[in-house]
Amino acid sequence: MKYCDKCKITIDTFNSYCPLCQQVLEGEPSPDLIEKYPEYVSANRKIYPITKKIIMFVTIVSMIILLIINLASYNGNLWSLIPIGSIFFFWILISVGIFSRQNIAFRFVFLTFLLIGLLILIDEASLQIGWSYNYLMPILLSVCNLAISGIILIKRIDYRDYILYLLTIAILSLVPIILVFTGIITIVWPAITAFALAIFILLFIIFFFPKSIKDEIKKRFHA
Amino acid sequence: MNKQSRHETWFRMDNSGKIFPEVSSHRETNVFRVAISLTEKIDNVLLQQTVDTILARYPMFKVKLKKGLFWSYFDYNSKPFHVEELKHYVCGEISPKKNNGYLFRVMYRNTDIIIEMFHSLADGAGVIKFLKALTYEYLVLVGKDIKPDNLVPTKNQRPSMEEYEDANTKFYDKKNKKHVPEKRAYRIKGSPLSEDLTGIISGTMSTSRMIRLARENKMTITEYFAALMMYTIYITQIQYRGQIKSNQAPVKIFVPVNLRKHFPSNTLRNFSNFVKVGMVMTEDDISFEDLKIFVKEQFEKGMTKSELIRKMSENVKFEKNIFLRFTPYFLKKYALKIGYNMLGMKLNTMSLTNIGKVDFPESMQPFVFDVTAAVYAGKFNTVNCSIMSYQDRLKISFTRSIVETTIEREFFRHFTDLGIDVEIESNYVEEY
Ligand SMILES: [Zn+2]
Repeated sequence: MKYCDKCKITIDTFNSYCPLCQQVLEGEPSPDLIEKYPEYVSANRKIYPITKKIIMFVTIVSMIILLIINLASYNGNLWSLIPIGSIFFFWILISVGIFSRQNIAFRFVFLTFLLIGLLILIDEASLQIGWSYNYLMPILLSVCNLAISGIILIKRIDYRDYILYLLTIAILSLVPIILVFTGIITIVWPAITAFALAIFILLFIIFFFPKSIKDEIKKRFHA
Repeated sequence: MNKQSRHETWFRMDNSGKIFPEVSSHRETNVFRVAISLTEKIDNVLLQQTVDTILARYPMFKVKLKKGLFWSYFDYNSKPFHVEELKHYVCGEISPKKNNGYLFRVMYRNTDIIIEMFHSLADGAGVIKFLKALTYEYLVLVGKDIKPDNLVPTKNQRPSMEEYEDANTKFYDKKNKKHVPEKRAYRIKGSPLSEDLTGIISGTMSTSRMIRLARENKMTITEYFAALMMYTIYITQIQYRGQIKSNQAPVKIFVPVNLRKHFPSNTLRNFSNFVKVGMVMTEDDISFEDLKIFVKEQFEKGMTKSELIRKMSENVKFEKNIFLRFTPYFLKKYALKIGYNMLGMKLNTMSLTNIGKVDFPESMQPFVFDVTAAVYAGKFNTVNCSIMSYQDRLKISFTRSIVETTIEREFFRHFTDLGIDVEIESNYVEEY
């Protein structure tokens, strides 16, 4: 036990000074003393944010340069928006797809939406031949459907976390078939494939997980 | 809520728990700690086994935080929980995204078991029950011949619905929910510690001596400490400096009140409220004697049943608001955040939490040495204080986010000047 004659307190430590007044302590620590609290070991957690900051800085600067060049030589065409949009998508892809700790099914659904949106924009901005609706939207929705079903099969124990996302994407896979009837989609087979897959998955959920889906909805929507 | 099989349990958040996920960060962690020192070195393998057993008995803690459309909630967590060796951090952030999604930690070091809990999940009294159950099962597993004597809940008891109830809404009175506006509180100044570290300094004194001291002053221990705390802040920070603008804000001590002592409930979740003592301290001649009288008065006023119900209902009314209830969560959380930043934290200079005394059955007592409680210290509440006692060891722990220790020094010197022995512990955070 050590002693501080200023504060008149006792303390058992290997440190040489009083934590209250910083005066030197008298006496010796107990022979079998183990410090109450461990020493601080720096976790070096600063490195990651700095790398992130540098990359962020470089991308923002290049986006601004692109926009300035475009505006300086403006001829009625805002071409810089395409690379800027792509960089932007790439950023979201990296941060949501890889670094986010969000639920993996959520990430799939989110990125699928984003990609479909981006592709439709590019399609509309360029030749407007409708490849994004006709092929890519139904195919991407089916891929996402299969991917989430696959995850549920592999990680069976957590299936309740994913089932609501599966339901969402399965319901949204019915959109292409609606677009067929409104005449926006002209190539029918990808839309039909996506529709068939979605119906199959929906029926599967309804037959085999009726309680889970009810519980999940109750949880998510309680007010 | 627990009618389904164990694997499908989920829990609504209680009224006071709802705010914490939105206002917590690396700096404002809203984490508190209770620790127990046993008489023998902790076996981490057995401790891990114990926690696994306990989690099966207390499904309320085997959860992760999830977001719904209108509110976030606790959902069953299927991932394993891991006990860890104690690190230097005191009440560090519990991010729902790390730690396998668990909202508490169990750590060990030498003879100590340390539990850190995110405030959303439970309050001090709830964690004490968890700690007692954990200690009991651990000692049984180590091979000690002990009996629960109905003082600790054991793994064989069935979980009861009452343990999970949100008692706040049970005692809600819509006729008594008036909001009383408050002024921003005085903030204890100091130089921030590097890397957001937290310092902890605890002083252990004799429980019986403290009770005698409080009685001599016709006060409870909590009242005595609250008065002394105000006096200490006054003499170290404000006295003779009343002309400075920032010193003219009232010094306000936030004292949590365990409502289970005032209203019948056995819940493990948040069921606490507070009493606040506040005073503008710009006069040059405030004495400790003045403050004792003042604090006693304020406690008497704040502890009346109707005042406690008013404070409870003031919070509950917020979640009963039909408009707010059906606002989607991603918008609602901003409302919660703004409300809390404007009102919550900045209305208190310091929190002083008296967890009270912990009892163990006689057969367990030879294996338990002492207990410690601590709450996080953040940017605005730079110094916080918690008290917990076991047998004749009463431990007062100061946590701080600043380098200076003048408040701790003057506080403990008050007792040594009275001739009372004080044994100090510190994590010597200023070394780093
Ligand atoms: Zn000293």
